[in-house]
Amino acid sequence: MLTKFETKSARVKGLSFHPKRPWILASLHNGVIQLWDYRMCTLIDKFDEHDGPVRGIDFHKQQPLFVSGGDDYKIKVWNYKLRRCLFTLLGHLDYIRTTFFHHDYPWILSASDDQTIRIWNWQSRTCVCVLTGHNHYVMCAQFHPSEDLVVSASLDQTVRVWDISGLRKKNLSPGAVENDVRGISGVDLFGASDAVVKHVLEGHDRGVNWAAFHPTMPLIVSGADDRQVKIWRMNESKAWELDTCRGHYNNVSCAVFHPRQELILSNSEDKSIRVWDMSKRTGVQTFRRDHDRFWVLGAHPNLNLFAAGHDSGMLVFKLERERPAYAVYGNMLYYVKDRFLRQLDFNSSKDTAVMQLRSGSKFPVFSMSYNPAENAVLLCTRATNLENSTYDLYSIPKETDSQNPDAPEGKRSSGLTAVWVARNRFAVLDRMHSLLIKNLKNEIVKKVQVPSCEEIFYAGTGSLLLRDADGVTLFDVQQKRSLATVKIAKVKYVVWSADTSHVALLAKHAIMICNRKLESLCNIHENIRVKSGAWDESGVFIYTTSNHIKYALTSGDHGIIRTLDLPIYVTRVRGNSVYCLDRECRPRVLTIDPTEYRFKLALVNRKYEEVLHMVRNAKLVGQSIIAYLQKKGYPEVALHFVKDEKTRFSLALECGNIEVALEAAKALDERSCWERLGEAALLQGHHQVVEMCYQRTKNFDKLTFLYLITGNLAKLRKMMKIAEIRKDMSGHYQGALYLGDVSERVRILKNCGQKSLAYLTAATHGMDEEAEALKESFDLEKETIPEVDPKAQLLQPPPPINPLDTNWPLLTVSKGFFEGAIAAKGKAGQMAADLDMEAPGGEGWGEDAELQLDEDGFMDAQDGLGEEGGLVKEEGGGWEVEEDLDLPPELDMPSGGGGGAEDGFFVPPTKGMSPTQTWCNNSQLPVDHVLAGSFETATRLLHDQVGVVNFGPYKALFMQTLSRGRTCYLGLPSLPCLRGTPPEELE
Amino acid sequence: MAAQQTDVDELFDVKNAYYIGSYQQCINEAQKVKPSTPEKEVERDMFLYRAYIAQRKYAVVLDDIKPSSSPELQAVRMFAEYRSSDNKRDAIVEDLDKKMTKSVDAANTTFLLMAASIYYHEMNSDAALRTLHQGESLECMAMTIQVLLNLDRVDMARKELKKMQDQDEDATLTQLATAWVNIAVGGEKLQDAYYIFQEMSDKYSSTLLLLNGQAACYMAQNRWEEAEGVLQEALDKDSSHPETLINLIVLTQHLGKAPEVTNRYLSQLKDAHRTHPFLKDYLTKENEFDRLVMQYAPTATA
Repeated sequence: MLTKFETKSARVKGLSFHPKRPWILASLHNGVIQLWDYRMCTLIDKFDEHDGPVRGIDFHKQQPLFVSGGDDYKIKVWNYKLRRCLFTLLGHLDYIRTTFFHHDYPWILSASDDQTIRIWNWQSRTCVCVLTGHNHYVMCAQFHPSEDLVVSASLDQTVRVWDISGLRKKNLSPGAVENDVRGISGVDLFGASDAVVKHVLEGHDRGVNWAAFHPTMPLIVSGADDRQVKIWRMNESKAWELDTCRGHYNNVSCAVFHPRQELILSNSEDKSIRVWDMSKRTGVQTFRRDHDRFWVLGAHPNLNLFAAGHDSGMLVFKLERERPAYAVYGNMLYYVKDRFLRQLDFNSSKDTAVMQLRSGSKFPVFSMSYNPAENAVLLCTRATNLENSTYDLYSIPKETDSQNPDAPEGKRSSGLTAVWVARNRFAVLDRMHSLLIKNLKNEIVKKVQVPSCEEIFYAGTGSLLLRDADGVTLFDVQQKRSLATVKIAKVKYVVWSADTSHVALLAKHAIMICNRKLESLCNIHENIRVKSGAWDESGVFIYTTSNHIKYALTSGDHGIIRTLDLPIYVTRVRGNSVYCLDRECRPRVLTIDPTEYRFKLALVNRKYEEVLHMVRNAKLVGQSIIAYLQKKGYPEVALHFVKDEKTRFSLALECGNIEVALEAAKALDERSCWERLGEAALLQGHHQVVEMCYQRTKNFDKLTFLYLITGNLAKLRKMMKIAEIRKDMSGHYQGALYLGDVSERVRILKNCGQKSLAYLTAATHGMDEEAEALKESFDLEKETIPEVDPKAQLLQPPPPINPLDTNWPLLTVSKGFFEGAIAAKGKAGQMAADLDMEAPGGEGWGEDAELQLDEDGFMDAQDGLGEEGGLVKEEGGGWEVEEDLDLPPELDMPSGGGGGAEDGFFVPPTKGMSPTQTWCNNSQLPVDHVLAGSFETATRLLHDQVGVVNFGPYKALFMQTLSRGRTCYLGLPSLPCLRGTPPEELE
Repeated sequence: MAAQQTDVDELFDVKNAYYIGSYQQCINEAQKVKPSTPEKEVERDMFLYRAYIAQRKYAVVLDDIKPSSSPELQAVRMFAEYRSSDNKRDAIVEDLDKKMTKSVDAANTTFLLMAASIYYHEMNSDAALRTLHQGESLECMAMTIQVLLNLDRVDMARKELKKMQDQDEDATLTQLATAWVNIAVGGEKLQDAYYIFQEMSDKYSSTLLLLNGQAACYMAQNRWEEAEGVLQEALDKDSSHPETLINLIVLTQHLGKAPEVTNRYLSQLKDAHRTHPFLKDYLTKENEFDRLVMQYAPTATA
């Protein structure tokens, strides 16, 4: 049993799965109803209106509604979208135990301690029928999933089946008017009831807590305080007890049929959940909790999910793994479906069953390792008790009939995991957690001492990845030593890139990408479970979580590509196709939009042409990409995207592109922009832009100073005039000072009443006339004429030698690729490439194509296989040396001598017969002799056979043919090469 | 230099790179590794200098190894000297013969290997085998196998291989020797040989040695197109590698390419590797042919 999600809360008394969304409702003993997302593991909402425990809870199949019933005698109907209770149905006179919607009609069924079952119409909000008959608390009442039946369980020790077809006819047949049944009683004029008891099932010795119909068969399961689970069968006329499941040692709280398998699940106050085999009536699994009694069970209508509520919360679980076992090699996917090993050719979409697996294990195949050289597979099967796990070694038959594939004999041994480490060797992690190396005959070749580990993964030829509690170790099997270790907790899957240069380690909530030497390149944390992954051809890792397809670059960038409704298992990524298997083991192809990660990849790899091309041609705009570019230090790239002037402006400033910033500033025309631009331009010595900015912001002081330092006297004078007009006395004076215009200064001083200062200025500067005039204006009685300092020095600004009209010279910097591109693109208005702000949704995501599977395509697939298969002719040949060599007697001598050389009498062997010699011996064709290098015999043959006498012209031919006779390969370094002999075709 | 199969071999990477023909990597690794004992240090240097020899950088070896260096390195120096110059060879062989007649320190496997290498180059298989017989290391056995294969004694090579496999089946040398023997045996064993080379290039790196091994396997299986791909890869790595060129000469003819293509490779070979045994052999054959022409010619005129 695999727990997918757990909550801690008050006692959970009711549970209901949403049929489509990953939601579950839990009603608690403290009156609260919780709405959980079990995939995201978050509490979505809380509904707290009931007073006291809430026992009944049920989602409506189509509408955004759910119904609850509590110990406050109230039935409440809620709308989870509006997040409120719509209305309350009153009528029951005691605790309400269960409430259920009808799958079709607008009805609610409620069971109560007031010994009645009631049917309500939630559209008219009235009670349409009361089912009486039980003479104790009714603990549970449920509609039949397809027929007009109700099953109920009561503490009166009976289970009753009610026929409600009368009610349906009356209420819902054409012409029936709702008003007719307002009388509630459920008994019409003639005394016939709308709902009648069809069967009373007696057999439990104590009160019955739960009863439920089988989804398809005429079966009922019930659980009671007599600690038994009973299965009942019914037909039109009668119902009878079929069997009893004994094992619980306290009251059974709830029992349900598995929606798709021949299983029953029950839970009990004995703190256990049990799974029973329906046909064998035996318990197959037991799951115990230490302290919590179980109260309720829920089964998901479509998925293999169950939920159980207990004293301190609830848990969502499934009975077995749904991950298909698969392996990918080249263009082939091998996967296990049902009891078959299937092969899918990605290119041709041909899907064929290649062999039937040996039966006998009740557990599904856990993992697979494929050996392309020998066309063999290792299939590992995990038992509940890990120690009983086994693996099977199969050699895939070369030719199979797709309709009726062979069932070759496999070799089964115990072991947790088995993976190939070489063409003819595989490693097995046995239950003692030691590592065995086995050959193709499944014989142990050697035992390898390994650091403690709990799981092994493939890591290329001769290597393994060993997982221990908190890390993964790369282990060389040949050298028997650890090469590298990386810390990551509980790695579950390992995905190697095609060239094994990178590996992705997948844990429950984390992904780590490492290189071949197991050096961590990046770490990604996910909040949702990581499911699977594959490398695409450009080296991007595409992975899936429970609800997304995502990408990760080795640089650590990652993001969402698209959402998923249901988990899938990625097998391969090619272009914008993601090949995957779903939980039903169906191969599927999903289309994704790879633009975003390709873009980022191109950026990381500095392939700017590609980036630019994508910028111009792909629709990849959005704040996120701009923010990404800005963050990653590519503001110049971001500039291409942005249409919004404000963003453009700040991006342009960020990358120091004054021209673009100026354009944007002109468009924006805001004071703050001009100020910022001025600052940036000043830093770059771009004083023309600075001037413009100061003009726009009417910053006269700064402007004046700018003119001063650039020696622009004409403008400076103009500024002085402006100051005068503005009546900015000090500005005016300052301008005059800058210009060295003494008479102006005197005039200003005079005008503003600083007569003495004016006089002094005039006198000091030798403007005698002016000084005299001023002197006369002094009223000698009141004012004193200031002394002129004889040592006064002239305060005169140096005249500019050459006014600076051009900008300050800038260092020539080679323009970045993008700036160049911007310049080439010309006007700024066009630069913001014609990008729509519409999110890249819509067509880009495309529709998911179901793979066209062709069972008859077997022949083609076989062709591809044949090539592989043809190579493999002998098992383990290279490693075995046949002991019984048939040696010609004359050769035995020297080899014997070689063996007995211990006492120093080493006799070197004589030369053997080379293959070329055999050609000579066996052939009368001159060409064979030439090839063998025996020119003498060749010429003789030619002479004898065709009477050639003048061999001169044949020289080139002879020499060339000779050179074709023998290949060569290198033995030990620095030694002459060895010669090989290609087989001579008959010419 | 016996194969360390029990403990972790700190020089594994160095040796491995050397054996698979990745000489530069061998040199790099050797310069990186910090041996724990003086013996290991000598062993490392030995591989380092042998890698230089394999790269034909004899001067490095001759300059580096001083008369005061250990006897193992002296042996390496001897080999380097032998390889470096043609005219001193006879003297070296003579000197070696003398040394061999005296009692040889059998523990100095390096000396045995170097001596055997010289004898092998001298085409003196008997002396080579005799020398190698005194050593017990994997490499001695591997060289024995190579000599035996050169003598076309596949049967004995297999026996020797069995000994190697008993000692350490998974060792790189054993694997390589298995491949050589498999190529010599031919038939179905060729595919196994191919896989051995393939696995090694997967696991470590693909080298000219491994590529030519693969090519030889393919060609022996009549799979010329595949061989072409492999040889092309080898050619890309080094355009004047003699063995690659020889194999290309074979290949181009079998693929039915124009004779000029073949001749081009032959010319390249003649240009760069005058002393390669293949060419020596080729020239001998040429002379033989000329002799034969002469032999038949008078009959024609008569």
